[in-house]
Amino acid sequence: MAGAPVGGAATRGAAVVNAAELLQRIAKTLRDDVGPAVDDEYPKTQAFMAAVVLQKLGRELALADAHRTADAAELRALADDLTKARVGADVPRSIGDAIERFGAVRDSASLCDLIDALYAGREDLGESRFDAWLGRIRSTLRAQIDRRLEFAK
Amino acid sequence: MNDALMPRIRDYVADRLSARDLMLERVERIAVGWSHETWLFDAVWRDGSAQHRLGLCLRRDPGNALLRHLSTLETQFKVLQCLELTELPTPKPYWFESDAAILDAPFLVMEKVAGVCPSPWGREGRAFYAAAAQRGTLPNSFTRTLATLHNLDWRAAGLDFLGAPMPGKAFAQREIAKWRELIAASDHPPEPILTDLVGWLEANAPTTDRVCLVHGAYRTGNLLIDDDRISAVLDWELQVLGDPMYDVAYVLSDLNREGTPLLSNLVERDAFFRDYEAATGFTIDENVCRYYNALYAMRSAAFWMSASGLYTSGRSNDIRLARTAYSLPDVLDRAAKELGY
Repeated sequence: MAGAPVGGAATRGAAVVNAAELLQRIAKTLRDDVGPAVDDEYPKTQAFMAAVVLQKLGRELALADAHRTADAAELRALADDLTKARVGADVPRSIGDAIERFGAVRDSASLCDLIDALYAGREDLGESRFDAWLGRIRSTLRAQIDRRLEFAK
Repeated sequence: MNDALMPRIRDYVADRLSARDLMLERVERIAVGWSHETWLFDAVWRDGSAQHRLGLCLRRDPGNALLRHLSTLETQFKVLQCLELTELPTPKPYWFESDAAILDAPFLVMEKVAGVCPSPWGREGRAFYAAAAQRGTLPNSFTRTLATLHNLDWRAAGLDFLGAPMPGKAFAQREIAKWRELIAASDHPPEPILTDLVGWLEANAPTTDRVCLVHGAYRTGNLLIDDDRISAVLDWELQVLGDPMYDVAYVLSDLNREGTPLLSNLVERDAFFRDYEAATGFTIDENVCRYYNALYAMRSAAFWMSASGLYTSGRSNDIRLARTAYSLPDVLDRAAKELGY
């Protein structure tokens, strides 16, 4: 978890070591000290790769709380918009059910099911609604992937 | 290097060559490639007063390789056997062994072809290809070799065991099904962008009645180069019978070049179009290539999901596979852009 102190340093009044920062420091040691000291190609590559993974993991941890909050807010807004769009409209049952399930749980699995339902029911739903609803979903997905790129790049 | 394996490799090769005093020299384990363990070495032996030297490449199935169930060493060996008598430059296949008692796992032995294979992702590799692009011979060889591959009579070569798709949408549908299967086997959490991409790919599959041998990963880094010419096409793991535009799309893709407009860090786009079309008689269909580029995004996602799953499940200790978990967002970003968002 982001910002969590490691060990008992905080309670003893010493410098607080943040988990994300600790990972960054280990990554630096692997990259600057361990990797260059290894001669064999395979373990050398492993040391450098470990540094890359820990660095990205550190960034992911540091951003995790903010990303979780933003994801939840956007999924809620998406569910609200799709539920409103569905009210009073003649919608294929499979799509209606998928919107309902997504609105209830608002997770990736139910969103995938909804996207599948949209493609499968595209003809019955009609092109303009298909484009509009999938477009609304895509704006949420765009924001989510932009956040993931903040630590994955 | 797995040193314990070398005496057993020596004994095996000595037995196959009936050379009791055989020694292995210039032994090198190659760190590139994620699917199989690879060793290069020279087998050296005497026969009366004559000394012989044979460069060999051994690939062994580590049992947990990426794409293992999609491309066995036995299939790779068979493909190389079929290609041996064709014009396409490929390593000569010597032996395949499925008996795990010999080296603990199936393996194949093939010719060590002369040449270098600089990685296009590193600074040195990029400089190598930039210099070769200026000289002009290698770009031409790159395009001509792809044309040779696509012009090859795959039926006469005996490659029909790879399975030719029916005319129509079958080729694209079969590829989608293959990568969908790998994604499902990875146990990766659902990815909505990928679901969107697969839905789009299924709805827009192109039709084709042209069937060629398709390499599946034709780019610099998978081609051995000697004296500014392609000396061998390597990495026969993703080959299929199908639409040649699948390979062309890979050549045209931004994926395979870094910081340069040159295709595969090597070939000018206009020259590639001109020379490829002249050599094959095919017209490059850029719309179809754009479709296959999106299909490559699905394939890459399948690779990275599978690869990171191998590490997290403890089936592999190769940290490069753990790294691929962070390659996935990049691929999903690319997929989203292909779909227009």
